[in-house]
Amino acid sequence: MVGIAHPTSMSNIEQLLVAGVLIPLASFLILALCGYRLGKPLAGWVAVLAIASSCVLSAAALVKWHGLDEAGRLAARSAPVLWAYLGSVPLAFGVNLDSLTLIMFFMVTLVSTCIFVFSVGYMAGHSDEIDGLSKFHRFFTYLSLFGFSMLLLLIADNLLLLFISWELVGLCSYLLIGFYFHKKSASTAAIKAFVTNRVGDCGFIIGLGMAYLYLGDLSLSGAAQAFAGQWQTHGPLFSQTFLGLNLATWMGILLFCGAIGKSAQFPLHVWLPDAMEGPTPVSALIHAATMVAAGVYLTARIFVLLTPEAQLFVAVIGCITLTLAALVAMVQTDIKKVLAYSTISQLGYMMLGMGVGAWIAALFHLLTHAFFKALMFLGSGQVIEGCHHEQDMRKMGGLWRKMPVTCGTFLVGVLAIAGAGIPAIWMPNHTPFGLGGYFSKDEILAVAYHRVYGEENVAADAPVGRGEAEASPHTGNTAVVAGAAPIQNPKSKIQNAALPPWLFWIPIIIAYITPFYMLRAWWLTFMGKPRDHHVYDHAHESPLMYLPLVVLALGTFFSSYYLFRPLVADAAPTPFLTAAFDGEATEAADAHGLLIGHTTHAALARIVGGAFVVGFFVAWVLYRRGLGLAEKLATALRPVHVLLSHKFFFDEFYGLVFVGGTMVLKAVSYAFDKYVVDALVNLSALVTERLSWISGTILDQGVVDGAVNGVGRGTWSLGGLARSPQVGRIRNYILFAAGSVAVVVLWMAFA
Amino acid sequence: MTGEAIAFYLLAAVVTAFALGCVLASNIVRMALCLLGTLGGVALLYFLMAANFLGAIQLIVYAGGTLIVIVFGVMLTSRAYGTKLRVRPLEMIGAAVVTLALLAGLTAILVRTAGPVVSPSTPDFGVAQIGTELLSTYLVPFEVISVLLLAVMIGAAYLVQPEKK
Amino acid sequence: MLTIGLTHYLVLAAVLFCCGLYVMTTKRNAVGILIGAELVLNAACLNLVAFSRYRTGRLDGQIAALFVIVLAAAEAAIAIAIFVNYYRLLSTIDADEGRQLRG
Repeated sequence: MVGIAHPTSMSNIEQLLVAGVLIPLASFLILALCGYRLGKPLAGWVAVLAIASSCVLSAAALVKWHGLDEAGRLAARSAPVLWAYLGSVPLAFGVNLDSLTLIMFFMVTLVSTCIFVFSVGYMAGHSDEIDGLSKFHRFFTYLSLFGFSMLLLLIADNLLLLFISWELVGLCSYLLIGFYFHKKSASTAAIKAFVTNRVGDCGFIIGLGMAYLYLGDLSLSGAAQAFAGQWQTHGPLFSQTFLGLNLATWMGILLFCGAIGKSAQFPLHVWLPDAMEGPTPVSALIHAATMVAAGVYLTARIFVLLTPEAQLFVAVIGCITLTLAALVAMVQTDIKKVLAYSTISQLGYMMLGMGVGAWIAALFHLLTHAFFKALMFLGSGQVIEGCHHEQDMRKMGGLWRKMPVTCGTFLVGVLAIAGAGIPAIWMPNHTPFGLGGYFSKDEILAVAYHRVYGEENVAADAPVGRGEAEASPHTGNTAVVAGAAPIQNPKSKIQNAALPPWLFWIPIIIAYITPFYMLRAWWLTFMGKPRDHHVYDHAHESPLMYLPLVVLALGTFFSSYYLFRPLVADAAPTPFLTAAFDGEATEAADAHGLLIGHTTHAALARIVGGAFVVGFFVAWVLYRRGLGLAEKLATALRPVHVLLSHKFFFDEFYGLVFVGGTMVLKAVSYAFDKYVVDALVNLSALVTERLSWISGTILDQGVVDGAVNGVGRGTWSLGGLARSPQVGRIRNYILFAAGSVAVVVLWMAFA
Repeated sequence: MTGEAIAFYLLAAVVTAFALGCVLASNIVRMALCLLGTLGGVALLYFLMAANFLGAIQLIVYAGGTLIVIVFGVMLTSRAYGTKLRVRPLEMIGAAVVTLALLAGLTAILVRTAGPVVSPSTPDFGVAQIGTELLSTYLVPFEVISVLLLAVMIGAAYLVQPEKK
Repeated sequence: MLTIGLTHYLVLAAVLFCCGLYVMTTKRNAVGILIGAELVLNAACLNLVAFSRYRTGRLDGQIAALFVIVLAAAEAAIAIAIFVNYYRLLSTIDADEGRQLRG
């Protein structure tokens, strides 16, 4: 009964991963207990050492995993450890070992290592003591805790464990956004992030409850199996409906609510731009590369629990998010805010990918995005640090002379996010060349195109989804088809139905806007003439901070199609699943009519293949001579500019509705208290006064003296009695608790 | 009447008397003394139930250790000896009503659900068995509790350290 | 009545429990409240051992009682440490004085 797994019952790879998770925890404990003594540079290096060793371990695990065949991989998964029973539902924790976990683990540790090293340089100039608290070691304490909880989230094979680590990363995010807690804006932003996330998590936990209630199993694989069983037997999840949608759909949507909050999707996206109040490495690590992507990861893990309607919901949310965020990003002047909105927009692309069924492409985009966005955030951190904490791009310009490495690496990031590449149709040997974003974003779009315009759905002749869920219960992520709706639910109204065309066309348009705002940011920062000489003269860069940039730039360069895409595709269990719309990869075009995928992407290359050129060109024309032309344009399009620069007035709207609503409620209850309760009290006082006056004058005082005193004493003790439950005496609370128990016991004994 | 029954009733009377002493005493030192009596009685009851090791532990840890701590606490904190801390009569009545109701209810349930009296058929467990169990089946709680004790030790020492000037 | 069984012990434990409860709810001296808690814990221990003896026939009840004793000792140590601080701060041991949460 004791919940300890014998070490040998875990496979080697699992041991490596678990060790990789525990090392940051150890670092957290060391730093929390004696970080102050370790002092300024040393505490940071402890954290770096911990996360770097995790990275090495995960690389070792990845290499081992790569050498295994399908059977060996199945054998490497050990049974989870039974921990407790929730009622009759067993709660077993284990490692969810598959390619996705491993590649995410590796990505997170690698990016974290770079960012931790960067932080040592960054925090060296920031760690002033505040209120007598040294902040340097606390920063790395939080970072280590974040590393631990994020990695725990990745290896969790259980929705409950996932939820626990989910909340832990939320806590770290809160602590780190509010790291400069003496700044009002920072502490407010931290609270905003926390509260906004709670809204999403509320849905998540209701979804968990539904999974517990209807599926009776919280482990990822068990839940998928139970879900498939319910679908086959037409269980309560599918037969009962609520507001026109069946419960299975509701469960998917509610679980997805957690992802909406964590990944800053519409309508809960408002916290992420404010989260930029945190130190820049935190923005890079948590609010760009890893934690916000956890929402996408969650969606990938619960993908098998999403009905087509729920998927449509995911796609629509993703589409709205990517549109709004990209439009707002066009007019932001704060360099970090531009990056924040572009992060939201890219997360929207991932969610859109999940929604349209581009499972592999969305995760592939997550990985590439993690690299280039971390790269750009660190670049902006270097700029901000070098420019004396100036974040306004309008005051920068011409910085490439002062920080050439930052400028170059930032450009790599810009090219990657813009989707720069040379499509195969223009290459002689049909081998496309491009940076990560080129492949991943285009693949999402290709799948979306196919879901919208595909004549015969690929899914129609694919033995997908449910079948495999039973065939291979040990693989966590079944039913994963890039490019096809995995769930063939006959009861579904939109089964296999074509998606509305705007789900394809709007992302295409935004794909033209993305390069525009990214090049705008880069150009305003590094090119042109210096606009503020105070800032320009101060600018410098330091090796400790740009070395991680170089590593990440190389990562961005190589995290392209040929290295990461197959690894992500590995996570899909059957060989068939890897073969869908993977762009120009010709070996994919085998049976099942998958050649469509090939031609789709080829056609798509004509539509968006040159998007980055157009976007770059427009940005260059607008900003090559500084801000003059752009300002003219802003005045000409004034209403649009106001709308965008106020971020569509979301904050104002929420302020009005929710905060204002609370205020109205407060006013109402205050009025009730003042006019109703107080009036009653006053009335009784008045009555008492009159009565006493009558009794005082009419009755002989000597006679009633004793009686009056008695009444007074009685009232006094009655008042005391009424007051006593509320004064905070513990023994009264005990008495009330015991009294309630006594009532129950008496009822049991004599009723 | 068997010897065991006689011993039980005797001990039960002693335990109840001391517990009532705790209830009725207003002097905190007397309450501590009555607690000692109760603890000793319960320890003897453990012996009666063949839980010899537990009885010994009860005497050593509880009567020997915990009670000393309590007495120390009494001596460290009750300098204002003369003042009597009493609760208001109403509270006392409320507490009495609730407690008696609870006792009546519990007793009624216990008596009603009492099965046939069976004499225990279990062997008397020795210290060796308890040790084996502790280090095998109950290893994790055992370790957790040792960590807890360590934390308590540090915590208590930290709490009572003299204030830094 | 003459053979001692489980019920006898349980009733005795109930008496002990109720005494402890009464002590906890009617003493204003913080140490008194602690003494009441000890009585309640003892009642629980007695139950555990009695069940172990008359029902399960295994050692589990005794071991649980052992843990309870250890926890009670830990609790007493921490409680007394807190009371000493409390006394230092408020110059009284009256539990009613500590009503407001103030540093």
